[in-house]
Amino acid sequence: MDWSLVLGVGLFRSGVQLAMPTALAAVGESFSERAGVLNLGLEGMMLCAALAAFVGEYYTGSAALGVLAGVAVGVMLAALKAFLSVYLKTEQVINGIAIVIFAQGITAFAYERLFRSLQVSPQVPPLHTIHVPILASIPGIGPVLFDQNVLIYVSLLTVAGVWLLLYRTKFGLSVRAVGESPIAAESVGGHVDLVRWLALLVCGAMAGLGGAVLIVGDINLFGPNVTAGRGWVAIALVIFGRWNPLIVFGGALLFGMTDALQLRIQAVSGGTLAAVPYEFFQALPYLLTLTVMVAATVASKRSAQPFALGVPFRREVTD
Amino acid sequence: MVATAVSLTVSACGNSPPAATAPSKVKVALILPCPTNDGSWCQQAYIAAQQLQTEGLIDLKVTSSAPQDTVSVTQIIQRYAQGGSQLVIADSTYQDAAFNAAATSPNTAIAFSGGGKVGGKVSTFEVPIYQPAYLAGIVASGITKTGVIGGLSAFDFPICHAQMEAFRLGAQSIKSSIKQVTTYIGDWNDVAKGKNATLAQADQKADVFVVCGGGPASGMISALQERNLSGFGYVGDQNSLAPKNMVGSLVYNLYPIFKAMVKDIAAGTYTGKDYDLGLSSFNFVLNPSYSVATIPPDILAKVQSTQQAILSGTFTVPYIAK
Repeated sequence: MDWSLVLGVGLFRSGVQLAMPTALAAVGESFSERAGVLNLGLEGMMLCAALAAFVGEYYTGSAALGVLAGVAVGVMLAALKAFLSVYLKTEQVINGIAIVIFAQGITAFAYERLFRSLQVSPQVPPLHTIHVPILASIPGIGPVLFDQNVLIYVSLLTVAGVWLLLYRTKFGLSVRAVGESPIAAESVGGHVDLVRWLALLVCGAMAGLGGAVLIVGDINLFGPNVTAGRGWVAIALVIFGRWNPLIVFGGALLFGMTDALQLRIQAVSGGTLAAVPYEFFQALPYLLTLTVMVAATVASKRSAQPFALGVPFRREVTD
Repeated sequence: MVATAVSLTVSACGNSPPAATAPSKVKVALILPCPTNDGSWCQQAYIAAQQLQTEGLIDLKVTSSAPQDTVSVTQIIQRYAQGGSQLVIADSTYQDAAFNAAATSPNTAIAFSGGGKVGGKVSTFEVPIYQPAYLAGIVASGITKTGVIGGLSAFDFPICHAQMEAFRLGAQSIKSSIKQVTTYIGDWNDVAKGKNATLAQADQKADVFVVCGGGPASGMISALQERNLSGFGYVGDQNSLAPKNMVGSLVYNLYPIFKAMVKDIAAGTYTGKDYDLGLSSFNFVLNPSYSVATIPPDILAKVQSTQQAILSGTFTVPYIAK
């Protein structure tokens, strides 16, 4: 067995592919949580978007339309979340979980109804890899970052865009203000609920893009629960990344890399005949992320959690 | 007007010949943990049950994408039992739910898949996928160019473990130098991880694959197409999903199993038992469009003769559960 192949270019390419859907959702979640809204419906948004992306590409033949369909569905579910959390001000943990349960049911039902008559499970054609000239030949980074399909590039640009939105625009400043001290923000003329609505829509769009990238950019088909818990991992990664979109993105890449690594170690070490139980390898990404998260929290001097996270804003009535 | 209608009705009743009593259909309920069109586990059970319904042997009710925790499955079985179902087939490893439901509905026949405890009116039916996997191993020995074969499994539990081992033993029975790599995905539905695991094994030179689990199977098939490798389909006929790359599929044929249960119920002889039809419940379906490599004719002959030997009982495929 060749150990050198465990830590090669293949590992990092695999890591990026595995990580991207989760990373997109996590960056989106960090945006909504900075505004103070806890979105536990992320897994549901990714799953519905995944189905929408698949159906969109299958019936139109266009990968771009599939991705747009996924993003649109993500935004629609985010609007539902906003209606429940920001307008009706219901408990954010509960309404988030309700959205996940709803999504799991509706996607299984819809997929079965839409494709029941087919003899063969439906698929969509894979995207071509784009070799960026010159950059793709940089040893190490080249084949990992500059030899991927177009959706990976779109994803990287989108993450950069969200960071810019949060830290370099007035809207981003409102988002951060509203998540820390909504009363103060409201008192200087900010609209807390409107900002939270919009932050959730950004989150939904990112979750939708994540679900779409999983289907259109990677596996090219749909199956029940195809997101397999990525939304939940994304939520944990926001805490890991201390609510900073770039660190969150880095954390997601680390998680994906470790996952790709453990699959490769399993392949090398002999699987059924391995001395170390395979469950240990499966736990490795979670263990690593948890360790880094705990260490970072202990080492930092102050909590990075937005002060008003999860608390609906109610305007005080004063005479 | 009314008188005419009444007289017509009376005359119709009076003149009709006595209807021949048709054999009553057995009321069957099928509980599936996935959609009926998943191309694998649930689709095969659905097809088999549908065939019995088309033949007029059963009245079928289906719940698909059912929640998979014991409490929910117990409730679904109980609801069907109370609703008049004579046989409830809970198509997954639902032993606990089956016995829980049997406690409150002792007169309803309940069957769960995968082997295990039986008793009262609770039966189980076996999934001997390890037997066609042995045949797949023989084929793999003839087409692998690297001498390394791969196996992907959702979890390491007996049905899957035995399948991986049988694939290895079948290949090594022809060429003892063949090595196998196996990976556990950790999820029945994670297609992307299944694909990445296959690619990781391909980086380790594996070029023929077998898989246990619907999600990982879809991922494996995607990886086969990407790297032009060979593999076998899981439970359903997945040959047309990658016509050039699929060597064949290990197709679970539940029709004879379900038919045996229905027959026992109709005859009044049903008791809780283990329905084990061995290799007859699995069709090893080779793919005529497979083109990544050529299967040597002597390998094909060996597959045929081994299949006959297994069916006639002269050869037993080793069953290694751990």
